[in-house]
Amino acid sequence: MRLINTVAWVGAVAGLAMSWASAATAESAAEIAVKEAQKYKGQTITIVWEAGLQALDPLNFSGPKWEELTGIKVKVIEVATEEMFTKIMQDYRAGAGAYDALNVIPAWMPDLAAAGALEPLDSYVDKYGYRDELQKIAPTYRDNQMKVGDKIFGFPDDGDVFVMYYRKDIFGDPKLQAEFKAKAGRDLTVPKTWKEFDEVGQFLTDKLAPQTYGAAFFRQPPYTMFMFEERFRNEGGKFFDADSMKATINSDVGVNVLTDMRNENKFMPPGVEQFGFVENLAAFLQGTSAMTISWPPYGRWAAGYGTDQEVLSWVPKSTIAGKVGYALPPGGHPELAAGFALSVASTSKNKDAAYLFIQWLNSEDISMQRVQLPYALRDPFRDSHFTSAEYQAKWPDAKEYLAALGEGAKTGLLDLSLLQTDKYEEVLRQAISKLWAGDDPKAILDTAAGEWDAITEKIGVDKQKAVYQGWAAKSGAYPQ
Amino acid sequence: MTASDRGTASGMSESTASAMVGASGVATPAGVAPDRFFKYWLIVPAIFLLLLVGLFPLIYSLVVSFQSLTMLEMDYSFAGFTNYIALFKDARLWESLLHTVIITAIALPIELVVGLLMAQLFLERLPGRQIFVSLLVLPTIISPIVAGATWRLLFDNRYGPINQIVGWFAGEPMPLLWTISPYLVYPAILLCEIWQWTPFMFLILLAALSNVDKSLTEAAEIDGAGYWRTFFKIVLPSIWPVMAIAILIRGLDLARIFDIIYALTAGGPGTMTETASIYAYVQGFQQFETSYTAAMAFLIIALLTALVTWAIRRMGLAK
Repeated sequence: MRLINTVAWVGAVAGLAMSWASAATAESAAEIAVKEAQKYKGQTITIVWEAGLQALDPLNFSGPKWEELTGIKVKVIEVATEEMFTKIMQDYRAGAGAYDALNVIPAWMPDLAAAGALEPLDSYVDKYGYRDELQKIAPTYRDNQMKVGDKIFGFPDDGDVFVMYYRKDIFGDPKLQAEFKAKAGRDLTVPKTWKEFDEVGQFLTDKLAPQTYGAAFFRQPPYTMFMFEERFRNEGGKFFDADSMKATINSDVGVNVLTDMRNENKFMPPGVEQFGFVENLAAFLQGTSAMTISWPPYGRWAAGYGTDQEVLSWVPKSTIAGKVGYALPPGGHPELAAGFALSVASTSKNKDAAYLFIQWLNSEDISMQRVQLPYALRDPFRDSHFTSAEYQAKWPDAKEYLAALGEGAKTGLLDLSLLQTDKYEEVLRQAISKLWAGDDPKAILDTAAGEWDAITEKIGVDKQKAVYQGWAAKSGAYPQ
Repeated sequence: MTASDRGTASGMSESTASAMVGASGVATPAGVAPDRFFKYWLIVPAIFLLLLVGLFPLIYSLVVSFQSLTMLEMDYSFAGFTNYIALFKDARLWESLLHTVIITAIALPIELVVGLLMAQLFLERLPGRQIFVSLLVLPTIISPIVAGATWRLLFDNRYGPINQIVGWFAGEPMPLLWTISPYLVYPAILLCEIWQWTPFMFLILLAALSNVDKSLTEAAEIDGAGYWRTFFKIVLPSIWPVMAIAILIRGLDLARIFDIIYALTAGGPGTMTETASIYAYVQGFQQFETSYTAAMAFLIIALLTALVTWAIRRMGLAK
């Protein structure tokens, strides 16, 4: 018996030691990518990247580093966001094979995959041992922005989520708190519903304008389209009737959302209808608005992080650093607006080298460095990014900032993603444009619903229905 | 028939024919007739190139307009007149054509009249005339997309000087949404368009007015004709051929207007300022409706051809 016990103990200790040794010597996905990519030394891979700040990542950081580690040159093709889909499709249709790796907005994936422009990545993931690290991407992105059907076509690489930014000093002002309580009968808190938002926004404008307005949003149609998609679903709206595939955006919910959006402009800065990304950023950073909703870079720049970089000299100097709070937008389910995934072009002549580059970029080690680049626009998307001690120490409130982003990643809502999504989105953009011009919200949405139905019929109701049902079944399609 | 006979027979003298052969640089061996089609062979590459870059795309897009091609689905099968029938049911297309007509109908006469007035003013030898003419022509050398983007900044509600100036006159801040308000978008577009292209009219009409025979106007003056009578009976007929060409060029430019409006309003609010060119761009390059866009292009070509033919006849340019 003693012998058996001794043997069992020795076996257990040996097993533990082996597993420890194995863990200690296991290569990370980044290391595997570098080692395997060295076989392709001397080659050049071409990657499509959004023009502007986004492209500084491969131009200044990841591209040169990859070349240093592997001997593979990275040629970056900068393309404006609105032209990326067209360029990718044109290259695919021409069979030119000009691009090896791609940045794709996840909502485009069904179209690009159906056309055959994207390389399925499953076999590469297994071949180069990436499956474990892939699982550590935050679930919303991993489960919703990676596959079409059951095949992997891209690695989620950008945690683009809408966050509400608010002025802590204003919400903490005792005088305002008292006045709000006297007026509304409740504490002045960061709004959790759109009704509360309207109440607080109007109150702050009444008290502080024209120095500071209750809120400001970007209102240009391409941005507001995302805000409508988010708010419409938070209020209980559905885009389609799942059985008939008839558009239901012209429901009462849709009409109320559009009506409220237009009414809210009244307590926002004059001319807010013209605000785009930069105008809204300027208003918030200069202290003209007490609340806003936008992508994660707003939070970093409001804190002053990275704005000393020359490439960010266009960002207005923040007058509110240290005064900014972070929360989920009203409704609690923020839009995962746009974002990027990394894919391999099916026409690439260097598929393995291209794949290894995107695995390396997307890996735990390298992505952790990329999301902290002060000038680039990649936002945290892995569980480890949200809890990184290094990132949390970047500015005094960085921990709360990352917590808000992490929370948004859990509850976020996906952009609508169907066949020919942009046609549906174009209708929404037109609708928003008409809204600011003063058209009747009900009439706008009735027209939009009719146009959506026409698009669906042209594509094929059954065909689109199958894609919609697949999308609607995803965890981030509608609030759970 | 000898080589010299052929040259003479075709209306050339012997010396001319032999000079041409010599000029061609081709040595004609004794007793061998030079290739009478040689001159045609010389222009074949140029004609081939022209056909390749001009006619082939036109024919190819005509073929495409009878298919159902989109960027996402390569359906090469014959679709008959489906796209052309759809065009006639497409309200957005006809609205965009109407917007194009409205902009053309307002901008063209204003550019013509203001350009003519400016040309008349600068006909006199004023001090610094050449410098002023050069400065006035500057807007035309700016790319229209840049002009549109610049005016967008000028019209900006927060930072643009136009609202500031309007505010000075009004005595209070005027947050006018020039590129969003349905009442202001057309004035904004027309202001930008007229600012950029009136100098073109001015320059051409100044050249035309400078060439009017002064002896005629002086004779009319001596005969007691007033200013307007002289202008309508002598000056206008003299400059009309040039003016008609200028109207035609600007009219065609306005029919294709894209850049300025795209930069200012992108066709908005809604589709209120969407022109035919912008709609074709949206269908072709945003919605990827390749065949439908090809059909639309042919419809627009047909309409413009009919219009230009009518205008050329009407303006007497074909005489």
